[in-house]
Amino acid sequence: MRNLLHDMNPSVKFIAVALSMMTIAFFFNPWTPLIFWMGVLLFQVFLSRLNWKVWALFMLPFTIGAFGYLWTTLLFGTETGGQIIWSFAGLDITAEQLETALSLSFRVLAFSTLSLMFAFTTDPVKFIMSLMQQLKLSPKLAYGIMVGYQFLPVMKDEFTQIQQAQRLRGAVEEKNALKRLLDMRRVLIPMLAGAVRKAERSAFAMEARGFTGEARTDYYQPIRIGRIDFWMSALFVLLLAASCLGGIWLS
Amino acid sequence: MLKSWKLKEVVLMSLFAIVFGIVYLLFVHLSNIWAGIIGPIAYEWLFGIWFIVSIICMNIIRKPGAAVLSESMAAAIEVLLGNAVGPRLLLSGIVQGLGAEAAFAVTGYKHFNLAVFMLAGAGSAVFSFVYGYFISGYAALDPSFVALMFTLRVLSGMIIAGIGGKYISDGLLATGSLRGYAIARAEKGDAGA
Repeated sequence: MRNLLHDMNPSVKFIAVALSMMTIAFFFNPWTPLIFWMGVLLFQVFLSRLNWKVWALFMLPFTIGAFGYLWTTLLFGTETGGQIIWSFAGLDITAEQLETALSLSFRVLAFSTLSLMFAFTTDPVKFIMSLMQQLKLSPKLAYGIMVGYQFLPVMKDEFTQIQQAQRLRGAVEEKNALKRLLDMRRVLIPMLAGAVRKAERSAFAMEARGFTGEARTDYYQPIRIGRIDFWMSALFVLLLAASCLGGIWLS
Repeated sequence: MLKSWKLKEVVLMSLFAIVFGIVYLLFVHLSNIWAGIIGPIAYEWLFGIWFIVSIICMNIIRKPGAAVLSESMAAAIEVLLGNAVGPRLLLSGIVQGLGAEAAFAVTGYKHFNLAVFMLAGAGSAVFSFVYGYFISGYAALDPSFVALMFTLRVLSGMIIAGIGGKYISDGLLATGSLRGYAIARAEKGDAGA
């Protein structure tokens, strides 16, 4: 049971997640995102192996963000009539305003939880491979992305190297935050120049080994769509329907 | 669309996407905390940062699709890096890329100057705002507040992505590493290209 989300086909999972978000975005009552959020949490508890400590850490900024939405919507919400439930410093907050504000905050929480679910249960390499095999992403692009991904640790090293080299030659670090932001160019340009050379070298190496970028029919690591995907998609649709109908019924 | 693309151009986009993917992520985390304090408007003045890769790549490669593909790749790499915003970023990356691409398409992929880059930055801003309007429910906010957010985002797209993108790609061209790409050929040929 706890491997179901991990075993789901990444493309199918991606489509399920994207469609869910598109649908929930149409609702402005607090219940739809709330029910959906709870459902996604339940999915995560029962259908995935999750490190909850890491999860909580990642959720923290989104929770803060949801709070930001709450008060922004309360302060800058569209003027709507209705019963005033709370007055504070000359501001009247109506029941309707509170509902919309709660809805948007729950939406932030629901979407972040959904995204985290995807991030925590999907192997990134398999995701790209699945995009290529199931959704017909061009192999040129797919393997291009993989090259970039493999270069990540090299880029990190290069970043420290450039910084150290510049310090060695007596470059001073700016104290002013804005100046430091503009100073990013000093590191960014050598990094990008290095990236250009790396790109040329690896593209040449790939072509020398017979990579043409043509789509193929067989893959070294085939990624398939199976029965799990059918049932999991059904589960997502069910949750989506439940939260939409539940939201309409409760409000 | 990719038939006319050389592999080295695709890989170049991907490596740029890595460099900017890291920069983007940094700003996502920064502005997430920021946004908790002052609400969704916190993102707006910084938004141009997220459009910059499409303008730089288009300026270097100068082929139809360079803007939307590079922006989508940057988003895909952010997902690969294990970003928590995950699939959401991929969608918004594609939308932003399409915005910049639209600006270049309107000018027929013939002009690559500051004005067009600023237009592309504004295009990304408009597209991403329409998408954000829908997905984040800005409809629930006061129209004048939404207008303020929109203006900030367009300005940020024009200034940070448009001017910044030009600034960075000029600096890169000066290093001489871009020989063999369209930008260097155009420089050597007629300056009007």
